[in-house]
Amino acid sequence: MHIPDGLIAPQAYLAAAALAVPCWAYAVRRVANALDERAIPRLAVLTALAFVLSTIMVPLPGGTSAHLSGMGLLVLAFGLWPAFLAFSLVLALQALLLGAGGITALPVNALCMGLAGGAVVVGVRSLFGANTSAWATVLPVWLGVVVAAVLLALVLGAQPYLASDPDGQPQFFPFGPAVTLPVIVLPHMLLGLLEGVLTWMILGILDSRRAAA
Amino acid sequence: MKDRAVLAGWLAAVVAITFVHDPGLLAGLLLLALAAQGARAPKIALRALIAVALVNLTVSIAFVASAWLSGEDWMLFVLRLNLRVFLLALLTFWMIRHVDLARAAAPWPALQFLVVLTLGQIRSFTTLLTDYRMAFASRSPTRPPLRVRFGSAGRQAAAMMEKAERQAEELNQGMRARGFFDERAGTNDRT
Repeated sequence: MHIPDGLIAPQAYLAAAALAVPCWAYAVRRVANALDERAIPRLAVLTALAFVLSTIMVPLPGGTSAHLSGMGLLVLAFGLWPAFLAFSLVLALQALLLGAGGITALPVNALCMGLAGGAVVVGVRSLFGANTSAWATVLPVWLGVVVAAVLLALVLGAQPYLASDPDGQPQFFPFGPAVTLPVIVLPHMLLGLLEGVLTWMILGILDSRRAAA
Repeated sequence: MKDRAVLAGWLAAVVAITFVHDPGLLAGLLLLALAAQGARAPKIALRALIAVALVNLTVSIAFVASAWLSGEDWMLFVLRLNLRVFLLALLTFWMIRHVDLARAAAPWPALQFLVVLTLGQIRSFTTLLTDYRMAFASRSPTRPPLRVRFGSAGRQAAAMMEKAERQAEELNQGMRARGFFDERAGTNDRT
């Protein structure tokens, strides 16, 4: 779902960068304090895991597929801040190694999908307490994906208001929220459900393997 | 040094280009960027075109349709969007060809180590994933039902999660055994 370079106005991506930098600094400190000398290898493995998880295709009815974002899984398995840091590094590697996504859009993508989406997953999961039913995983992940999609749609939809020339012609993404919200959010309501079910399955498989070991 | 200079130059160029809105100037910069690629220009241009085609076509067609319906001008925006996004993609693929990320991170040993470890781990996980996919394909002479494919995707991810937990611990022990953390502590003491 992430946004490529050239569609976001400097007013939006510079503001997002100003917000993201302290968040990244805080995340680095949290991860380093929690993991001390294990921080670098742990973060490297987590980042690689997130990178490759995003290449796993989730099958959709009709023979098509979408890819897993892996954010809900990472947050539930490792916590919000390590997951946010790993997810941000994944976005940076995708932009710098593959040309996927964009470097100017990175702070927006990281804040919407990694931080806000991840915080929703953690917050909603905490409401379930010790409940280990499928809904205690599926609902938080679904909401995390949907909230991230809503935020990205709002950022994209704000572009014509942020940057238009004197003739009213848009300088970046041209459509407002009336278009971006349904176009982006509706498909993610289905994708989020699939990601939630898959996350629940993965955590279940891991639990049963640990119990058997 | 060269890698960092190229990376910084690319980043500055990307930011600067987002402040350019004149299609004529964007076209001039695009021609300049293509000329700078030399003989590789067609190959890189094709790669950049493939990368941006879906987003650009979708946005452009939707904009042309809505402008046509409301009787507004669409040419300026379509030129501006397509030239800018294509130019940015072209510069990014040029940067990818010329920058070694590990070398660019050399002044920051912790970051360099993180980059090198991450790239190595990505390779290791990708191999595992490919093995899983090939094994699944070889066990499935006909297209498996959706439930089975969904289960396979879940098991692939679970296997990688398990491997990640093991590898994080193994890497940590390996680095500790080779004195990496002692060296870093020594470096910190000296500074």
